[in-house]
Amino acid sequence: MIPLLKSAVCGLSSRAVGCGEAVFLLPGVVIPEKTKLKFMDKVPTLKKVRREMKRLKDIVGPEQRENGFTSGQYGIVAMGGGYLHWGHMEMMRLTINRRIDPRITYALWRINAPYKPITSKGLGKRMGGGKGAVDHYVTPVRCGRLLVELGGHCELGEVKGLLTEVAKKLPFPAKVVSRESLAEMQQAAAAREMNNQNPWTFSRIATANMLGIRKVLSPVDLRHHGRYTGKFHLPERV
Amino acid sequence: MAATLCFTFLPKQAGWLPLRQCVRYGSKAVTRHRKPVHFLKQKLLAITEYIPPKPEECFRVSRTRETKQDSRMTAFIKREVQATFQQSKMIVVVQNNATTTEDMLQLRHRLHKHDVSVKFFPNQVMRDFLSDSMHKNMKPLFIGSTVLFVSKEPKLKEVLQILKSFPQLVLVGACVDDTLMSRQGIVSYSKLPPLATVQGQVLGGLSLLSSQTSSMLHRHPAHLSALLQQYLKQQVIDGPSQETGPEAQDSVA
Repeated sequence: MIPLLKSAVCGLSSRAVGCGEAVFLLPGVVIPEKTKLKFMDKVPTLKKVRREMKRLKDIVGPEQRENGFTSGQYGIVAMGGGYLHWGHMEMMRLTINRRIDPRITYALWRINAPYKPITSKGLGKRMGGGKGAVDHYVTPVRCGRLLVELGGHCELGEVKGLLTEVAKKLPFPAKVVSRESLAEMQQAAAAREMNNQNPWTFSRIATANMLGIRKVLSPVDLRHHGRYTGKFHLPERV
Repeated sequence: MAATLCFTFLPKQAGWLPLRQCVRYGSKAVTRHRKPVHFLKQKLLAITEYIPPKPEECFRVSRTRETKQDSRMTAFIKREVQATFQQSKMIVVVQNNATTTEDMLQLRHRLHKHDVSVKFFPNQVMRDFLSDSMHKNMKPLFIGSTVLFVSKEPKLKEVLQILKSFPQLVLVGACVDDTLMSRQGIVSYSKLPPLATVQGQVLGGLSLLSSQTSSMLHRHPAHLSALLQQYLKQQVIDGPSQETGPEAQDSVA
């Protein structure tokens, strides 16, 4: 790590820099052009507005694809399922953009702009009369999904406070992770599964339908081995 | 709302669902709140909880037990026990199971007639004392609530008679004249005749042979020779080491 003055690093002298502000450069870090989180549209640009079914299964279970880091070092990972709407995204965007130094740190979205239409019938209306009109749009998020990534010439301690602030305001439990801590979490979960001394496991009993327990279980329970109920993640389950 | 049954057909590779599913009125599968879990599922979750592996027992150096100093009471009791063991020739250990006070009084009275005293000592003190003394093997007798009958003269017969009328008192063992005896031993010892009789019996048995010899010699010599021949035969049968027989017989003949 080479300590350098910020002005030297950034090469932009137009911006006034406080004297004595040293920054330590980390090797192998490439800062992209646009370092701040971009604005998310409230409503997707569609020719035709279509009302969709609820499809609550987009909340259920673990995230299988978007659960790893791409280019950033630190991020927020969802520990439960839920819907993020435009207000959440604005909160995230404004907080992060305000707090990071765009010359040495960058942030990027790992979620899409809201695309799922949520209808509402309006206040005081009786049942019936068809499906309501589209009220707003949301982004479904599953447990284990990365929401936002941060990177640059920064340490975890610098960004942790900011990210925890944001994580607390989300509609589902969320955790601040780094690449290493996320890998550690996954390894710990795998090790727990391996060294479980209990010969009776949920998946064993459920797949064999011992005692006809599948009468009170759903196929989703089987798939997720009893670790997820609805949109919730049960971390103690193994 | 009445329960409705729905029959579903699934391809085999997807796994099978129970053929009949009860669909009741209620919330959806995905709710904002935590849904109440079916009792059987609760049981399943309880059974299948994570059990962590036991950490290996750390090797702990056992602290050497500091030798406990006997309290003064314990020392006093030990002295009493020692005196009892020294003075008494007979010590009978009896297990008492819930003896009432009046029963105990009766017992004491009857034993006192034969100069047998009843003693109570705490088991731990007894065991401590016995492990140091020569009566080490009496240690296993002192388990449970025990009573000691001690006396200077061995009077097992009387003690046994008295104990017959107290079924809750169980004879465990005795130490008579520094000899440990079990229950059977005590019974057989008590059945023995007194010492003088036994001594007389022993003497009589020893003198029997010599007394018989004189009467045998008074008889006809043919009888005597027949007896000796028989004796020789027996000697031969017994072993080749007995060679004095034939020489003696030659000399007699």
